[in-house]
Amino acid sequence: MRFVFRLLALGLALAVPRLAAHPETAEARAELDRLIAEFPRESELYLRRAALRLAHAEWSEAEADLRRAETLTPDSPRVATQLGQLDLGRGQLTAASRHFDAALARAPGDAEALILRARTRALLGDIPGAHADYSAALRQLEAPSPDLFLARAALPIAPALALRGLDEGIAQLGPAGPLLERALALELRLGRTDAALARLDVLTASSGRQELWLKRRGDILAAAGRSTAAREAYVAALVAVAALPPWLRDSPETAHLATELARLAATSS
Amino acid sequence: MRLRFLVLLVLLASLALAPAPLFAATSVVRGPYLQIATPTSLVVRWRTDIAEASLVRYGLAKNQLTLTTKAEGIVTEHIVQLSGLEPATRYFYRVGSGLEKAPAANAEDAPGLGPVSSFITPPPVGPAKATRVWLLGDPGTKNATQAAVRDVYYKFTGARPTDLWMLLGDNAYPEGTDADYQKAVFEVYPDTLRSSPLWPALGNHDGRSANSITQSGVYYDIFTLPTRAQAGGIASGTEAYYSFDYANIHFICLDSHDTERTADGAMMQWLKADLAATPRDWIIAYFHHPTYTKGTHDSDKDSDSGGRMNDMRAIFLPVLEAGGVDVILTGHSHVYERSPLLDGHYGKSVTFDATAHVKQKGNGRAEGDGVYLKPRTRAAHTGEVSVVTGSAGHAGSMTKPPALNHPAMIVAFNEPGSTVLDIDGLRLDLTFLNDQGEKRDWFTIVKK
Repeated sequence: MRFVFRLLALGLALAVPRLAAHPETAEARAELDRLIAEFPRESELYLRRAALRLAHAEWSEAEADLRRAETLTPDSPRVATQLGQLDLGRGQLTAASRHFDAALARAPGDAEALILRARTRALLGDIPGAHADYSAALRQLEAPSPDLFLARAALPIAPALALRGLDEGIAQLGPAGPLLERALALELRLGRTDAALARLDVLTASSGRQELWLKRRGDILAAAGRSTAAREAYVAALVAVAALPPWLRDSPETAHLATELARLAATSS
Repeated sequence: MRLRFLVLLVLLASLALAPAPLFAATSVVRGPYLQIATPTSLVVRWRTDIAEASLVRYGLAKNQLTLTTKAEGIVTEHIVQLSGLEPATRYFYRVGSGLEKAPAANAEDAPGLGPVSSFITPPPVGPAKATRVWLLGDPGTKNATQAAVRDVYYKFTGARPTDLWMLLGDNAYPEGTDADYQKAVFEVYPDTLRSSPLWPALGNHDGRSANSITQSGVYYDIFTLPTRAQAGGIASGTEAYYSFDYANIHFICLDSHDTERTADGAMMQWLKADLAATPRDWIIAYFHHPTYTKGTHDSDKDSDSGGRMNDMRAIFLPVLEAGGVDVILTGHSHVYERSPLLDGHYGKSVTFDATAHVKQKGNGRAEGDGVYLKPRTRAAHTGEVSVVTGSAGHAGSMTKPPALNHPAMIVAFNEPGSTVLDIDGLRLDLTFLNDQGEKRDWFTIVKK
């Protein structure tokens, strides 16, 4: 369920990236209406107005604009992409997929169309197709958002495959926190404690405060039955707490953490 | 045939051997501007009309540009990272390939591009240092109001350097295109651009020409922002949201427009880790869509701005407050609105209960109701002041006057202006200046 929700959220972000409902929308629409009246054969204007209408779920009006744009520029990949977005918005997934196919036939490698088709395919249950599309999109992009790597890793695929994908992201984007966190979780799912700890070490090293990461290290070790090492981690976390300046060390949250760490260190020997 | 060949050869040779100035028709058409400033490094960017090498000459005196850094390639978009700088130090610099062979003492007069400019590197991270930040929300109208707001600030700050400045989104109307940015940012703030590092946020109008998922488009082309925690904080892996440290301050920039805003999305995961990791005295968060507003937008309306204001209030605000954020700066609503010290209000305005949600009432002024006091100890839910400052380019709406009646806000003006943030040690002062040069609002937070 969470997977579907994330897909929807990601798809929405892509589907309406240039749109917003705000007071200027009325002004933008009025301006587009005026421009369309002045330049009725300008496809771009219909596409922009359709985008505004898509953002407000005005499907029929958006479709009218898109059909007009299609008449004016029948080979435009953007028209096909927006028609796909329209069908996606209406929940007509098969039709949406066909439009994205058309868009990609006209502009192979278009990252936006690939991502939208990946999402559509995932919703249709075509997981290999979705994975392939995400991968193709990621290859096209110089600096993709971590969200894309996460979306691909969130597909119902083998954890090892998801992990490889996240490592591609880390190699490309650097040690991004969200990618490392997801990779860490997958390592734990695979039972690879040391690999998970290695991920954690990267996060710890980049942090101005160590104590929470060290506690997490202890928790992972404790869960793996390595109680001595867990205790060492908890003690290290306590040392990190003690090294904090007083105004950080004496906060209620840190004091509570220190108490918890002391208890864990005492009980995990 | 041979004669024509010889003539051609002579022509080519004369072209190749001609002194550089004959061909120094290159002009800087954008910048220079400064990005990702750290105590020891900084990125200088500029654009030329003709492709050439990217070269910066710099040094500690105007006539001693003894250091040179050159980036690879012959380009029109120049991006040069200066490294090995001294913290809290003024450097003078010039850009242009023609400077390469100029003696240091003459570099000031050598055929570079533009005048000698200067910047001051950030101080070492951690210790306090008096810091001035200029905040501009929704500035990019390209009109006389934008210029008036700018000039008021220039007069206000005088010789006091602007240590850093922020654009809170909708930086270039109407579409956030490259041409819009040229007119609305680069031609309006050239002096600040070349002397103070700029840390922008993405707004909805910028988002019309940019895409955060694909990290592409004008906004992402123009700005070089930290993805690998180059300036502090936790690496986000994206320029859409990032954090950085300046002295004893931790700044967090979120993308409220075009990045997934769910509770388990990448931005949220990153934010939680980043908040937990920072040991700085102050935490300042900024993004485009306000958590509370009754200005030209209404944060109570689910349909307004695609629910982004709701998301930032209901999903992100609890995490920011739990992380100990001190001030939240936003734009989008073309007004100025400001709260007292708040905590725990995540619903619509009808659910606002001053007895439950106001940590300290009053205007936060020493000469008024008293400054806001926060414990120095970093603790969750110690209160933040929420500031909507989205009128740096224009105020109000053409369709109807803003209500300006959000109960969480104690100050609200339908006036153009910009905001100045001064932090010195454990004292924070914020001032709103309108376009007439009037100091319309101010407050102080002191940590003890």
